[in-house]
Order: sequence, then structure tokens, then C-alpha cells
Amino acid sequence: MPPLQPVGNRSQTKPQGSSKKLVIKPLKSKPSLPADFEIKTWTRLQDAVQAVHAQTPVACSLEELYRAVEDMCLHKMADRLYAGLQQACDQHTKAQIEKLAGSQAADEVLFLRQMHGCWEEHTSQMLTIRSIFLYLDRSYVLSASSVRSLYEMGLQQFRTHLVHHAEVLRKTIAGANQLIEAERQGESVDRQLLAHLLRMTSALGLYDDSFQAGFLEHTHLFYRAESQRLIQEVEVASYLEHCERRIQEEYERCQHYLEPSTRRHLIKVVEQQLLEAHMAALLNRGFDGLMAEQRTQDLARFYTLAARVQALPALKLRLKDYIRTSGLALIMDEEKDKDMVQLLLEMKSNLDDIVQQAFQKNEGFANALKEAFENFINQRQNKPAELIAKFMDAQLKGGSKGQSDEQMETDLDKALMLFRYISGKDVFEAFYKKDLAKRLLLGRSASVDAEKNMITKLKQECGAQFTNKLEGMFKDIDLSRDIMVSLKQSSVAKSKFPLGIDMNVSILTSGFWPSYPIQEGTLPAELNDYQAVFRDFYLSKHSGRRLVWHNSLGTCVLKVQFRKGLKELQVSLFQTIILMLFNDTAEMSFSDIKAATGIEDRELRRTLQSLACGKLRPINKAPKGRDVDDNDVFFLQCRLLDRQYQIDAAIVRIMKTRKTLSHKLLVNELVVQLKFPIKGADLKKRIESLIDREYLERDRDNAQVYNYLA
Amino acid sequence: MLRKVRKTTSRSAVTKDDNKVEAMFQGYQDPSGDTIGPEGVERLCQDLGVDPADRKVLILAWKLGAQRMGYFSRAEFCSGCRDMKATDLTKLRAALPGLEDEVAMPSAFQSFFQFAFRFCLTEPRQKIIDVDTAVQMLQLTMPHEAHLPGFTQFLQDQTEYKSINQDQWTSFGRFAQEIRPDCSNYDESQAWPLILDNFVEWCLNHK
Repeated sequence: MPPLQPVGNRSQTKPQGSSKKLVIKPLKSKPSLPADFEIKTWTRLQDAVQAVHAQTPVACSLEELYRAVEDMCLHKMADRLYAGLQQACDQHTKAQIEKLAGSQAADEVLFLRQMHGCWEEHTSQMLTIRSIFLYLDRSYVLSASSVRSLYEMGLQQFRTHLVHHAEVLRKTIAGANQLIEAERQGESVDRQLLAHLLRMTSALGLYDDSFQAGFLEHTHLFYRAESQRLIQEVEVASYLEHCERRIQEEYERCQHYLEPSTRRHLIKVVEQQLLEAHMAALLNRGFDGLMAEQRTQDLARFYTLAARVQALPALKLRLKDYIRTSGLALIMDEEKDKDMVQLLLEMKSNLDDIVQQAFQKNEGFANALKEAFENFINQRQNKPAELIAKFMDAQLKGGSKGQSDEQMETDLDKALMLFRYISGKDVFEAFYKKDLAKRLLLGRSASVDAEKNMITKLKQECGAQFTNKLEGMFKDIDLSRDIMVSLKQSSVAKSKFPLGIDMNVSILTSGFWPSYPIQEGTLPAELNDYQAVFRDFYLSKHSGRRLVWHNSLGTCVLKVQFRKGLKELQVSLFQTIILMLFNDTAEMSFSDIKAATGIEDRELRRTLQSLACGKLRPINKAPKGRDVDDNDVFFLQCRLLDRQYQIDAAIVRIMKTRKTLSHKLLVNELVVQLKFPIKGADLKKRIESLIDREYLERDRDNAQVYNYLA
Repeated sequence: MLRKVRKTTSRSAVTKDDNKVEAMFQGYQDPSGDTIGPEGVERLCQDLGVDPADRKVLILAWKLGAQRMGYFSRAEFCSGCRDMKATDLTKLRAALPGLEDEVAMPSAFQSFFQFAFRFCLTEPRQKIIDVDTAVQMLQLTMPHEAHLPGFTQFLQDQTEYKSINQDQWTSFGRFAQEIRPDCSNYDESQAWPLILDNFVEWCLNHK
């Protein structure tokens, strides 16, 4: 039975073993705490607590005390330990507060310091006690839900006694408020102390009810009184400056000693009392003045402060009102008509600056500006539209001297902006068209580019319908120029044109241009010939058209010999007709002139007045006086250089028949034909001019001989 | 047979000269057109060893019949050079002194003098040249003329004329030929342009 062998072996060892058994026996008697354990331990702890409260040295080490607490808790004495400690603390706290209640502190600051001292002591003692009773705080307090932590318990007791001794609490709060008011009045106060006390009320859960409500009420009263006084005493700008400073101060107050939750309420109260309550007065009394004086900084302040109390709509309304009133005053003042556009532009640019810089580019304000302009500018019929057109006219004629193209363009753009406000665009168009017609016909435009640019802009502004006719006018002028070029290059030009006159005709499509009344007048023969040549030429190219001459639009450049020297006079065609009469005679009566010119009576008087009573007087009248009378007689003041045309005509007449003639013979002939005395040099000048214009040439072989060029 | 051969030879000679002149032209041709431009003219002058502002260049332009200042067209340059038998640079350079002798002849001078005026008209419808240009041109065209110092001084002193027309230009050319240095044979009642009347009066006042 070998397999069983080992078993046998094991049984064999049994007898050898003196087997020692470890037996754990229960204690014969349950170990019990010494009967006086609780009393002794508590007494030791109580002594320690008292020492802490009395601020004397504690007899045992903190370690020992800690163990003692732990022991008591382990032996299930925690509830009694807690109750004992609670009682000990309560007694002490009660005593401390009672001591404060009896305080004889002379002023509130001293009392507040005592209060602060008491609180400081309480909190630091509670921290020490808590570290001794830490085990209690961590075990018993945590497991029993209805029990406060030791620190909480301390606060609770402090609060209870403080509330119980209402006088102490009242004095504390009142003291704090007094300090704050003193600070508002400019004294420097112990902000640290305030911060501590207010943090105390907050820790005790007394801040909101006992402090904040009263404080806000205080603030309310303070600022109501202050604002009512100041609004009467100081001007709006400094009042606003004051408000800004006050609000800033209150923010700082919040940073330094008030609880964060107070800020919103506090600022609101301040804003209400300082701003909201007086907004109407501020707007009515101060706003217009600030605007008129362009006080951007003050206006910016006004804007931000008004934004605080949601008064921006009111401010905007006031702005609109101001613009409307001042704008209306400007455009209704007829004495300012001359500078109206310039003044409006300045006003607009100033207002733009204000909206940009003071009103934070607020779109609503920019719109208000626009609406106000639209409103007032249309209160006066037609005139603003007319003046804007006139302003543009002046610019397009070259504006003031030394003005750059860029300057012209920006000025035009600004005027265009005013134009946008005008509702009577048709009135503007009529005036613009009239001025444009003058610029085009008289060649007064400073720059064709600027003109075309302007048309493009008007087109963008008002659509093609608006500028159709204006563009038509440009087209007419271009076509007219082409026609004149081809006429002057044609064979007709040399053979049929009267000598010495250069004429330009503009063909205006009726309908594009302003309508002009047709005025009669008998043209000098030379001009009449020219018109006839032109008419034939034009109708040969464009048959079936009807040409109507608008003589009243014509202008001429005359060379006139004044006593002081040769002048070129730019005059109207009617003025020319009259002046040319004096080529043949030195003196004419009103009725003679009327018969010779056929100009309508009123127009004739007007024209004569302009010639005889203006600044430059090519003719004189007798008797002198401003009005042209039927019996007046007119004298020539100057010699018309029209004579040079007579010389030219004579030379050509002679050369046309002779074909070839020597210089000397030509001069002799001229002296015979021309009825006025003339110098050889003058004749040479005319001959050279005719050579230049290829009417004559010097003979190639004999330089003394001229040939006529057909 | 013989004639035919000779003809061919001469034609090939002509072609050969043409090619040489053409090559010379191409050497100065403006890359952007069928002409020698200002830059090419300057190089040509350099290669000929003359200053571009030299009288010889103006004479060359006249000889080539140049229409435009600072430019030689292909036709102007090629036919001009062929006429002068200047088929390469060396021959062209050698021809220059002969040209100066040529303009000294009265008939050629008139043509050259008229050319100089037209040559200054650079704009399409220009008919006059300003006084400063006229003074410079006169100094190029008739450097040894006795009236010239006085006339240029007069032109610069006076303020009445700012420009000179072709009639005045031509007349001064005639004046230079006909009138003695002391103006003693000048007659104001003749057909002289006013500017010359004034000049003579100026001369008498400045003696």
C-alpha cells in the first residue's frame, strides 16, 4: 500500500508535538473609563477655551487638547462636548457685545474701531478654538445635520447678540453711513475700516437688510439734494462734468469697500437722481448752447450720460430740433442768400464732425441730421435749389482763384449732398440747365471733365431721365463744333465769308435747352451775310430742318480803342449791333438807334443802359443819368477797332481785281480807298495778317510784289 | 547679247548697293517702326563722329529730305544715301564736308534755309516757331551772317513778337542777302515785314 505511506508518516509525527494553543480570552471585566474621565477632560478643555477668550496662555499643548477632544468624541461624548463649548462661547460673546453696548466712545469713528476690534477678536478666537476642536468639527458636526460648524456657530452667536443689542448694530450702520457721506463731501476717511465693518455685516448676513437698504436711501437723499442745488447754480456743461465725476467716484466706492451686489443699485440711484430727474432741464437749457458753440467734448459727455439713463431718443429729438431751427433761420434770412450754400456746407460739416466725434457715429443721430436737413431746406420754396445750382455753376466756372481740381470736386460733391435733401429736384434741374446752357454757349466751363463728371453724378442720383436733356446739350455743342470745323474748311468759307469776322454758331436742339424768347434785331450786314452762309451750308447737310436764330444769346468779342489803350470787349450781340452803328457816325439819338437796330423797345433801353451807364462805358449819353429817355443822344467814347476789318476788306477787294500788285501801288490804292488816315505800319500789319491767313503771298521772284490767292 | 549682259550687271550692282544701304539703315532702325528714331539718330551721329546738334546733321537732314525732326524714314534714308552714293558709314562720313560746300551755293542755301524753318514745325497744324527756336535755328543755318548777332539780340530784347512765321523767316533770309551790314540800303516803304522795319530802327538806335 505504498500510496498511503505518507499519510502514515504524518500521523507518526503527532506524538512528538507539545502543541501550544494560543487562546484569546475575553477580559474578565470590561475595561471602563475612569469615572471622572469626562469631567476631567472637559474641565481641561474648558480652561483652554477660557484662556483663549481671555487671551492668556493655554496650560496644555494644543496637541494634548486635540487628543482630548478626539478621545471624548470616540467615547461618544461629542454631543455633550458641543453643547458645553457652545455655552462657553455664547457667554463670552454675549459679554463682549454688552461691553460694546456700554461703550462711551466719544465719536463714531472710535466706536467703529471698537466694533471692528471686537469682531477681529471674535473671528481670530473662533479660529483658534476651531483648530482645538477640529475633530469635533470634522466628525460630529458633519454627521449631525442640524448642527452648525463651530465657526458658523460663532457667527450665529455674534449675530444674535448684536441683533439683540439693537443699539450697537444701529450705531455701527449709522457710523458707516456717516463716514461715507463725509467721504462724498470730500473728506478723506478710513476706507480700510469701512471695508472691514461692511464685510462683517456681510459675514453676519446683515448687509442687505441692515446696511444696503438704508445706504441706498441715504444716497438717494444725498444726490437729490445735491442735484437740485447744482442744477440751479451751475451751467449745464459743468453740471454734466460733475455727474461724470460723481458716477466715477461711486464706482471707486464699490471697488474699495462696498459689496459687489450693491453696485448696480447704487449707480442706478445716482443716475436717477443726478441725470434722469433733470434730463428735460439739461436738454432744454444747455443742449442748444453746446451745439452752437461746437463743444464736442461736452457734447460727448452729454451723449454718454444720456445713454446711461436711456435718454438718447430725447437727445436725438433735441438735436433734430436744433438743426431744424438753426437751419431754418439760415435759409429764411434773405440777407444771407448770397452765402447760403457756403453757410449750409459749413453747418453740415460741423454737424458731421459732432456726430462723428461726440455722438459716437450713432446711425440714428446721423439719420436725424439728414431728416432735419431735408425738413428745413424744403421749408423755403425754390430758393435753396436755385442757390445750390448757382453754387455749382460758380464752381464749374472755375470757382475761386487758385483752387485745385480736387478742391473743386470735393466742393461739388458737398453741394451735391445738399442737393440730395432738396425735394424740388425739378426746380434745381431748371436752374442747373439754365446755368449749364450759359457755360456751354459762352465757353465758361473751367473743365469739360468736371462738367461730365457732374452729369454722371446727377445721373446716379436721379436717374437717366433727369440728365437726358443735359447730355443732349453736350452733344449739341460737340456737333456744333464739328459743323463749324467742316464749314471753315469747306470751299464756301473762303469765297463767301465776310472778312475779319470769325463766327461760331451753336445749333441747339429745341427741347434740350431752356426755352428762350425770340427777340428781333437788325444785324450788321457782315453778320447777316455770315448767318446766310451758315444757313445754306447747314441746310445742305441737314435738309428739312428749321433753324431759328436766337440773337439774344449771342456774344461777340470786339476790339475797342479806349483812351488808355486797346481793349477786347466781350459783349452781347445786341450790344454789338448798337456799337457797330458807331463805326459810321459819332453821334446818334435814341430814335435813330431804335430805327436802325429794330431791337424791341424795352430790350433796347436795357442794352443802351448797360453800354452807357455801366462800369466800362464805350458810349456816353446826354443828358447823363441812369434811365434811357426817348430824347437822349449817344456819343462814341472810343474808336472801334473794327477799322482793321475795313482795311482787310479793302486790301482783299483791290487784290481780287488786280491779282498781282506791288507793295507801293497797293499802299497808294489803299490810301485812296480808305476814308480815314492810316499809318504805313498799320497797313503792313494787315497785309502780313492776310499773308498769314493765305489770302496773299509774296511773289517768289520779286519780293516787292503780292499775289492774290484765290 | 552683250547689252543684255551689261544690263544685268548694272541691275545687280544697284541691288548690291541697295542691300548695303538697307543694312546700314537696319543698323539704326527703331525696333518699333520703319524709321530711325531719335535714339538711332544719336548713334548714327556718334558713328559719324559729329555732335547731334552740329550744323552738319541739319544739313544731312536737309539732304535726306527728312520730314520730322529726330527721325529718318526708310525711304528718306535709303534713297538719300543712294543719291549721295554713300553706301556705308565711311562713305557717308566722307560725304559730309562736301554737303557743307553744297549749301554755301546761293540756290541750295535758299532751299536749306526754308527747310530749316519747316523742320521746326513738329505739331500737325503748327505754322509758327517761337523766338528762342528761331534764334537757335538761325545760328545753325547762317553762322557767319553779319546781321545775325544784331538780329538775335533784337529778338531777345523785344517783347512784341513771341513767335516767327514763315513770311518773316523767309524775309530775313532775303534781308541777309540784300541789305548791307550798316543797313544803309534799307527802305522802309518797301514790302519788308514790320518786324524788319523794327529791327532796322533798333539797329540805328543801338549804334
